[in-house]
Amino acid sequence: MIKNLFSLYTYRYPKNIAYMLQASEYDARNYLIWLSKTKNFNLVSRRKQFIKTKFSILLYRFIAGGMLLQILIGLIIIILGFTNHFVGGQYYGLAIILSYPVIWPYLILILILVAKILIINPRDKIILDKAENIFKNHPGKIIAVLGSYGKTSMKEYLAIVLSEGKKVAVSPDNKNVALSHARFAQKLTGLEDYIVLEYGEGKNGDIAKLAKLTHPDFAIITGLAPVHQNHYKSIKQQADDLLSIEKYVDPTNIYLNSDTYFKDIKINKEINQFNDQSVLGFKISNILTDYSGTSFELSNKKQTNNFKSKVIGRHQVKYLALIIVISEQLGLTLNQIKKGIAKTKAFPHRMELSELNGAMVIDDSYNGNIEGIKAGLNLIKDLKAKRKIYVTPGLVDQGKKTKDIHLEMGRYIAAASPDIVVLMQNSTTESIKKGLAEDNYAGQLIVEDNPLDFYNNLSIFVAKDDLVLMQNDWPDNYK
Amino acid sequence: MKKILVIFGGRSVEHDVSIVTAINSVIKPLRLTKKYQVEPLYISKTGQWYWHEALADIETYTSGKINSLLKKLKPISLKFDQGLVLSTGGSISSRKLLIDVVFPAMHGTYGEDGDLMGLLEMANVAYVGCDMPASAIAMNKVLAKQLAVANGISTSNFLFYKNINYKENGQKIINEINTKLNWPLFVKPAHLGSSIGISRVNNNQELENALELAFHYDDLVIVEEEVANLIEVTLPIIGNDVPEPAYLERPMLQQADFFDFDTKYLRGQKKGSKSSLGASEGYSQVPADLPAKLYKSAETLALEVFKLFNLSGIARVDLLIDSKKSIVYFNEINPMPGSLYSHNFQKFGLSNVDLVERLIFFALEKYEQKNKLNSSFSTNYLKQF
Repeated sequence: MIKNLFSLYTYRYPKNIAYMLQASEYDARNYLIWLSKTKNFNLVSRRKQFIKTKFSILLYRFIAGGMLLQILIGLIIIILGFTNHFVGGQYYGLAIILSYPVIWPYLILILILVAKILIINPRDKIILDKAENIFKNHPGKIIAVLGSYGKTSMKEYLAIVLSEGKKVAVSPDNKNVALSHARFAQKLTGLEDYIVLEYGEGKNGDIAKLAKLTHPDFAIITGLAPVHQNHYKSIKQQADDLLSIEKYVDPTNIYLNSDTYFKDIKINKEINQFNDQSVLGFKISNILTDYSGTSFELSNKKQTNNFKSKVIGRHQVKYLALIIVISEQLGLTLNQIKKGIAKTKAFPHRMELSELNGAMVIDDSYNGNIEGIKAGLNLIKDLKAKRKIYVTPGLVDQGKKTKDIHLEMGRYIAAASPDIVVLMQNSTTESIKKGLAEDNYAGQLIVEDNPLDFYNNLSIFVAKDDLVLMQNDWPDNYK
Repeated sequence: MKKILVIFGGRSVEHDVSIVTAINSVIKPLRLTKKYQVEPLYISKTGQWYWHEALADIETYTSGKINSLLKKLKPISLKFDQGLVLSTGGSISSRKLLIDVVFPAMHGTYGEDGDLMGLLEMANVAYVGCDMPASAIAMNKVLAKQLAVANGISTSNFLFYKNINYKENGQKIINEINTKLNWPLFVKPAHLGSSIGISRVNNNQELENALELAFHYDDLVIVEEEVANLIEVTLPIIGNDVPEPAYLERPMLQQADFFDFDTKYLRGQKKGSKSSLGASEGYSQVPADLPAKLYKSAETLALEVFKLFNLSGIARVDLLIDSKKSIVYFNEINPMPGSLYSHNFQKFGLSNVDLVERLIFFALEKYEQKNKLNSSFSTNYLKQF
């Protein structure tokens, strides 16, 4: 209790508030929820740290300056009180000083919202209008990649393969919102044959907004799984948001992964569907995955071809197969496609393989959905290791189904039977533990209350021939 | 939850190495298991014992905060009430803790040499590593070689001298060395590890300087012949009655050089090298690339030494090989290898976390065995007085 109270008056408090705003991505709702749940402000920055950007430094200085100013005003009023220039000044002044930690976390939010309405939004509108014009008039074809998971990898793989025979531009990293695409548009030369864009979705209407901005010719929907359930009311609404792309792209130019949650959704028959077994008339077979990558065979009545990629995991094959078929339709030769597929590799934090003291570590911390969890657990079943260690904090933004999904997750983990399971203590831990117990998990279970400490000391936790799979991230603003 | 006391620091020239071993290789991995209450006990360079959580943070030492912290803290006292009890004194905020297992992460004098183990034996508490007699013999290079020779284990030819004798008969000793040993020679303090005070010498002038240096650190100095066509290897071993070897490790040095303290712990490279790999890991070959038969001979000899010296818990046996003649010589024993040689065990397939857990297991196993022995015997002896 005393520690919690003192955390409001430490020198770090302004930076903690600035960090909370930054980690909430300046989303007022998320920030206010976090603020209301926080008891000890010294503990908000456990998982990540305040990142210095021009805006975040300005914000921090503004908060710190505002707080100092309030303290100064309080002190002046106290002095006026003691010198009989302000009756009761001592008490008013003290109240002003003590209240700064309560006032500024809300006052700064109001100031940000005002700045957004008066400055940021009008400025953004100009940038977006300009970008829409660029996309609309661009002579190349625009391919939108959207879905609940796997879209960054899909976008990157597609760009790598198409680049073997075409001029391709691809939206950078995992930047997938309107403003990032608008900035990306300004870098286009107009000479590109294809532009591959990742569409992010977080709430209803996001896909339509991006489609209106970028005018796509093709769309690839990588899959559907519960994410952002604190904004979407249901998985159906989430599916509708993804499928709203139909209004902007000819259904015959849409490719949809029909596995998983799309099985329960009614899909327009004109949309091309693909899954783990087949892609647009081609059959997938002979999948082999190990630490060196994944090989598979793709065949139809006319031809059979073998491919090898550096990416690991069976779940990746259907995406690679779709890229192969699309690339062929867009005019690439078989050799160009094979060369491109051979170049595909994991991207940072997405099934990214590295070696640590002789152990193989798969970093899949950017995964954030139950389908990715299943894919990861299937992968550790496939890979050989002396000891298999599975590390996860659980999934955020799973809404009302949080308990059910984590119970299911516990069962999947038990079925994959890693030797050691490391859970990061949070609100989902008990559900995962229950799922593990229900399916009689017999390995070692460790519940870690300091995730950063665990990740930093992973090197002393592992030995030669171990396999570690680390899935998901748990930002500080989730409990 | 078992309470583990990690003791480190101490009145030893290897004080700083001990801090790193304790914090990085013992406390951190033990805490990662979530199975133990791990308490740090730091012995200052002047011999005071301190118990505080901040002592488990390496930054306390690297930032220099240790000096101001020690000024604030009161040294603790030990009680032997049904085991080992830590006590911070009689004030209102005093703390007491009964310890289940002690992990002495000590190197060199007053820690690794058996002194501390004697105290722990008196307290009748379980502890990690070799017992007092084994540690005392192992850390005395002269006694260790004599015991090896007496049991038919080859060592390089050696002589040894006490400081007082050298002061009185320095020239006579130089002459004796010239007569009985072949150059080049190694001069070593008899009780120190981490290559402190060791010199390789080729002539009388270097020998005199080297003896002076070695006597600066120790009252007993050993002078030994260099093994020709040298391959130096070391084998970390864990276990009690059934020793479990890790990989034979070969420091990557040339015959003209040897590894001093800075090379081992600061640069992790051969002396004079400009590159900077991590300490104690960057300069060795694990497993040592030796012909299979020679590898096996060296491993067998090291295991034989482990048993002969009644080592337990963990130890590292250093060997010298004449590569042309394929003869393996016993060199010395390190009863508490720096950083537990966890890099070697990791390559062998045992993580640092598993290593410390195994060592706790061995400590408890040894403790149980010892307590099964009867330590009382009824006689009528006193009645005659």
